Formats: sequence, C-alpha cells, structure tokens
Amino acid sequence: MSAQGNLRSALEDLVLLEIGDQSGDYAAMLLAGLGVDAIKLEPRTGSPSRAIGPFASESKDPEESVFFWRYNLNKKSVALDLDHAAARSLLDRLAAKADIVLLSGEFENVQHQLEFWREAAEHNPRLILCTITPFGLDGPYRALKSTDLTQMAMGGIMAVCGYDPDEQGHYDTPPIAPAMWHSYHIAGEYAAISILAAINFRDLTGEGQLIDVSIHEAVNTCTEIAMPTYIYNGELVMRQTARHAMVGITQFRLSRSRDDVYMLASLSPFEREARAFTDLADQVGIDHILRTPEYAQLEKDDRRAAYTYRNDLIEQVVASRPAQEIFELAQKVGLAWSPIRRPEDNLSDPHFNARGSFTTIHHPELGRDLRYPATVASDGQEPHMSYTRRAPRLGKHTSEVLEWIGCGPDEITALKNSGAI
Amino acid sequence: MANDASAKRRALDGVRIIDLTWLQVGPQATRILATFGAQVIRIEWRNPAAVDFLRYMQPFAPDHATPAGGRSQGAAHSHGLRGNFDRGAYYNNTNPGKYGVTLNLNHPKGRDLLKRMVRDANALCENFSPGQMDKWGLGYDDLRKVNPKLIYLQTTGFGKAGTYNNYVSYGPTAQAYSGLTFLSGLPEPHPPAGWGYSYLDHSPGYFGAMLLMTALHRQRQTGVGAYIDMSQSETGLMLSGTSLLEHQLGGKPTTRYGNRMPYLDWSPHGAYRCAGEDNWIAISVQSDAQWRALVEEMGSPAWAVDSRLASATGRKTNEDDLDRNLNLYTSANDRYDLMSRLQSRDIPSGVVQKAPDRFDRDAQLKARGYYVDLPHSEIGTWPVEGFPAKLTGSPADIGGLTGRAAPKLGEDNDFIYQKVFGLTSAEIIALREENVI
Repeated sequence: MSAQGNLRSALEDLVLLEIGDQSGDYAAMLLAGLGVDAIKLEPRTGSPSRAIGPFASESKDPEESVFFWRYNLNKKSVALDLDHAAARSLLDRLAAKADIVLLSGEFENVQHQLEFWREAAEHNPRLILCTITPFGLDGPYRALKSTDLTQMAMGGIMAVCGYDPDEQGHYDTPPIAPAMWHSYHIAGEYAAISILAAINFRDLTGEGQLIDVSIHEAVNTCTEIAMPTYIYNGELVMRQTARHAMVGITQFRLSRSRDDVYMLASLSPFEREARAFTDLADQVGIDHILRTPEYAQLEKDDRRAAYTYRNDLIEQVVASRPAQEIFELAQKVGLAWSPIRRPEDNLSDPHFNARGSFTTIHHPELGRDLRYPATVASDGQEPHMSYTRRAPRLGKHTSEVLEWIGCGPDEITALKNSGAI
Repeated sequence: MANDASAKRRALDGVRIIDLTWLQVGPQATRILATFGAQVIRIEWRNPAAVDFLRYMQPFAPDHATPAGGRSQGAAHSHGLRGNFDRGAYYNNTNPGKYGVTLNLNHPKGRDLLKRMVRDANALCENFSPGQMDKWGLGYDDLRKVNPKLIYLQTTGFGKAGTYNNYVSYGPTAQAYSGLTFLSGLPEPHPPAGWGYSYLDHSPGYFGAMLLMTALHRQRQTGVGAYIDMSQSETGLMLSGTSLLEHQLGGKPTTRYGNRMPYLDWSPHGAYRCAGEDNWIAISVQSDAQWRALVEEMGSPAWAVDSRLASATGRKTNEDDLDRNLNLYTSANDRYDLMSRLQSRDIPSGVVQKAPDRFDRDAQLKARGYYVDLPHSEIGTWPVEGFPAKLTGSPADIGGLTGRAAPKLGEDNDFIYQKVFGLTSAEIIALREENVI
C-alpha cells in the first residue's frame, strides 16, 4: 500500500485556543494530533486537570499529573490571569489571530466567558467558537452539577453495563460505568467532529460559527440498540456480564484460558463459524460429537441442549491452551475471538508496534521515556496522527505566544511585573 | 433542527461519499457525514448472504407499522417480516440521511459501475473483512488510478497495516483485545463486566468522521486524497485513559475499581440503589462541603456525622462502610426526587437512566430537540437519535439531504444512477435484467 497524504499535518494552518477543564482536554488533543497548533490558556495556578491523578510521584505536584500528561500532548501552555485588566487586550489580540476557541467547563463559567469571545468573533468573523458543557448552553438541566460518573448514568451507558441478575431476575450488583472518562471521550470526539465540520463550512463561506456540544447528549448517542428497542418495541434491554444488553438474559459465556485469562469466545449464528469451531476443537484435540448425526439430531430436538453442549465445548477448547495461543488458533480458522487483555498487554504487541500505535515521549523529570497511545489510523505505512511533544509545563510557551501576537520584550516584562502573566 | 436546515448552506455541500459500509462501525461514520450535508450513497446488495445484518437483526419495527403511520401506531414486539429487509429498527437509526442503491460487486459490470461512481466522488468508505475490496480489484491502489484525489476510509477490527491484518473481529473482539473490556467492572474476584454494547462500533465511527472531514478540508485546498486504515482496536488504546502510563510508572498490573474514583479524593462515588426495581442513582461527592450538604439532606444520621467521614481521606478509608450506609438511605428514596434534592444542594448526581427515562422523561433532551422524527418509506415516521451539538452556522441535520430516515434497499436506484450519474433508463433496465443493480 503506497502512502498518500498522511493527515498528521493536514490542519497545521489552524490555531486553537483552549480554556477550560478536563472535559475539553481530549478534544483539543485530538485536533493537535492532526497538526492544529493548540494553545492552552491556563490560570496562573494551572488548569483544573492538573489536579487529577494519577500522579507520577507522591507529591501530587500539578506538573506531575499523569492525567494532564495524557490528555495534553502536543499543546502549548500560556499562563495568564484571565481576570487581570491587562489580560483583555492580550485575549483580543489572540482572538484576532486564532481560528478556533474551545471553552469547556460548568455552564455558568462557560456562559460567562462566552460573552467575551462572542464579541471577539464580531471582529474576527472567521472565528469558530466551540463550547463543551455538561448539558449544553440551554435547556432546563443546563446548570445541573455533573461528573464523568453522573454523565455515564444519565446518558444511559451505565444502565446497559454491569453483571447478570440472579435467577429471579433481580440485580444485586450496581450498573457499571466502564472506566474511565468516557463521557469526556465521546463529547470530545463530537466536539472535534463539529469543529471540523465548521472548518469545512468556513472553507465554503468564510464564516465562523458557534458550536454548543452537550456531554449529556453525546453519551446518549452511544448506547446502540437500547434506545431503538424501546422506541419500536416498547421493551427494555437488561445488562449482563460482559455481553450485549438484550431484552432477555443470554447464556453466560466468559471462559478462561489455561493461563487463567478471561476469553471472549462465542459463536455467531453464521454457519461458517460453526464449521470453524469444529476445526478448532479438532486442532486442540478436544473430543466432540459436532460432526455426528447424534449432534444433528440434538440440534433438531432440543436446541437449548445443543447450545449448552457447544458452549461447554467452547470452555474446554479455551481451557486447553494459553490465551494468546487460543487467540491465534481461533483467528487462523476465522473466529473473531479475543483474550480480555489488560491494556498494558498491548505495549509489547507486535501488531500495534508494527503500526506505530504508540509514541515515545521523553520525560526528563523522570529520567525516562513513556509510551503513549497516539493514533487511531494508519496511512498504510505511518500513523495519521502524530504526537511528538509532551504535555506542556505550566506557562512554558507564554513568551513565545505573546511574541507571536506582537508583544515586545518590554511589554512582556511589564505584564510579568503586573501579575497578568 | 430539520425544519430550517434546507434554507442554510451545509458544511459538506457538494461532497459525495460512496458508502460501502455495513453493520455499525462504518455506517456510523457516514451517518455523521450525511448529518453535515454530504451526499452519502449507501451501496448494498440484495442477496440475503450479502445484505447488511442490521436489516434483519432485532429490534424490528412493529408489524403493523405502515408508511403513513409509524410511531403513532404504537410500539410492539416484532420478529420481523420474512424476506423483508426494510423493517430493521436499528438499521433505521443508524442510516438516516443516506441514499440507498443496490449494486452487485460480484458482477464485472457492477465493479465497472462502482469505478464510474468513484470517479465523481470525494471519498469511499468500507468496513468489509480485510482483503475483500482487493479481491474485487477495488482496493485503494486500484481506485486511486480512477480518482487520484480519492479519500479512502477502510475500517477493520485490527487494521490493515501491522501483523494481524487478516484477523477477523467484531466490535466486542476489538474491545477485549484493546483492554477496554478488562477496565470495566468491579474489582476481582468479580470478572470484567465489559460493555453491554459495542463501544468500539461507535467510537471508531466518530474517528472515521473526524479523519474524513480532515481529509475533505485538505482535498478542497490542495487536491490531495488519503488512504485511511482505521483500526478499531487501536482506537481502543486511545480510549484506555491513563492505564498504560500508570502501568509503565508503577509496574503493577491494571486493576478495576468499579464505580469508584481512584484519581481524586472524591467519595462517596458510585451507583446507589433507589426505591423500585433495579433503580439507581449515581452520586459523586467532590468536596467536604458537598459531603456536609449530603449529610444535611439525609437528616444528619449518626453514621454520617461520624468524624471519621468528615475528611476526604477519612471517607476514602472507610468507603465500604460509607457505601453500605448510603445505600440504605438511598434505597428508601425515589430516584428522581432524590436527584432533584441533591442537585438543589449542588451535589453532582444523576439517575441511572434507562431508555424510557431518557426518551419519555428527560426534560433536557426534549427541550434541546435531541430526538428527531424522520419518515421511512416502509415503516413510517419514527424518532431517530440526534446529533449532540448545536451549530449556529451550518446545521447538524440528522435527516441530511434526503430528509428521511434510512433508505429501503435500493430505494434510490433511479435517482442516483439516472439523475446523479447520468445513466439512461435503457441502461438501468439492462443492468437490472443482468442482476447488476
């Protein structure tokens, strides 16, 4: 496959200003991976996301927030007091040169800041403003307090994730919010998409616009058949252990490999998968009756018994070998099985390493490198997204950015002395 | 949203997408492109072995639903109508705003016609099993000869580049492999809870839309196309939070922590039982002040005023006891009433909403017009899940150019082949007779 048009610098002509909290970090980072020059305007005490763990050391120093590191790759940091009298003129000059402004956080706070940026957009009509707020900029819930967890609850993901009920159908375990930060992931992806739509619109018209992303709605888009099942059939899906939430409880199907790894191993209704599984059982040397008239008869007379027989056989097949071996044997016969891996098992995976799925970032404060997941796609040879710069230290790029908007050394010194930067 | 859309210019005006996707992950990307005004031409084939599984998968529209009716006729269970591929409810929700044509790619004339369409398109999207398009002679290297500016989005479970390029996958396979399934659930000895749906059939679709729009912007400016080899499991890595970094720093195996918050001293932090069957509320206390407000709301019971719980550290240390007691309290409360009382004290909280709660009761989704009624030519008008952002300039219009929910199989053959690609009626009749379209 010949490479053409890698996208890593496709957006390098664009400048994004980011002000906000942990709900906006990811959206800006996604765009920064495609070449956008993302400038994070932080309060002089640092962005709220610098207080989120884990931390690289016990001190919980805001410079050592691993959360901040993860979600702010490639960005620049400008530290300034947004409420300082001198800040206003700096923001005006930044607004004149920027393409995108991304605001995130609680409604009142974002609403307050938006007044300024809307005015700025009158002087720069090409400016694209995007807000990420818990419930959007209008509507009766707009000021409700939320976290990632409560968003996963209200958006419907928790209701479909968790464990099987008991035999009477009662749940003794709570719904589960899959870890972690997925409400911000989903909203961040939609924010990046919307900003790109606005960029395409600006290509056509020269006009910017305001984008109002609701985290609540974003989570709501992401529950698959749960909503259509209700709308069309008036029925509720039920959460079940590591399987799709369905109207009825389906058969438990987590099996464990010889090296004690849970395996996602099941068969779809397609006939070719039944044949493939029969081959696999032969290969690992498990006795079975799948090819016999006896089994064919069982399938006719008692489908459930046949299903249970085959399910038991799946468990035996999986238990016969280590997980990685079963995975590869199953894949060779065309079965989409997988070990339920820990995330870190992927760090040494030959496939991801061949794709360049990780980027290596040097951390001088640790005296070592860390490998970060850094792309979602390849051009056939190289990743389409590129992260080469670590998350910025607070204020690391303040002077550089101020010089870019035309501040001379004297002005920068005066701003420092006044406490604005 | 749909009403004023036609008057406004759309972000992807003039963009044409050849959409060979199926199931969820591919159609999710093109759904978003249609929302922003691209002409998305969904290509399918009517052979039952080739038709999109979502067309004959539960849930179905009720058997009584007619073109003039729809949801007004009421919801009801259905097993689908035998041989009818136009009543899939999830298909309808996944493919609004798209045109639908049939095309037989196993026929040489079908492949020729596809190439003719690709010549006049901005992008092609597919999520067949790895290698299928190459077998047809329609891989990226073949098609870029026809259209050098083409953007080609291919989505597979593992990705075409790399060592697993022949491996097969559904969304849940990719989820399990990437680590996302492991991360979800209560601590061991509980097994992973995983995801009750295919998250990695959603997010890679969002990423697909993101990269397509990036490439479209550049195509407009420079005339350069792109080959995009999207890997569902690779997107899973991107979504694995800080777990990979934690492991590198601490050297310990990743563990699960249920609904608790391991990264901040927030506690209580979980889902708590409420009155009624399987009713729950999520509560997330971020500070001592919020904790004091919660204690007050509960009427300051003895267990809660215990000084050990006054500090965040104390609450974290005694989290098991705290959760048990809080559960006893919440169990006697109505979930929405409790949420409203907690919210009035600025405590982050939210009902664990099930589908009817989100559809019938959620006042925010209603006020924002999140669900959009769209007609379907066979099953009538039904609400479709909307786009989670409002844009003041270009509309995010889920009904797209068609103003319709999903197309019937081959519904737009005449319009697309004749009006858009200029085939004559005689050519269309001949192609139909030869089983090409």
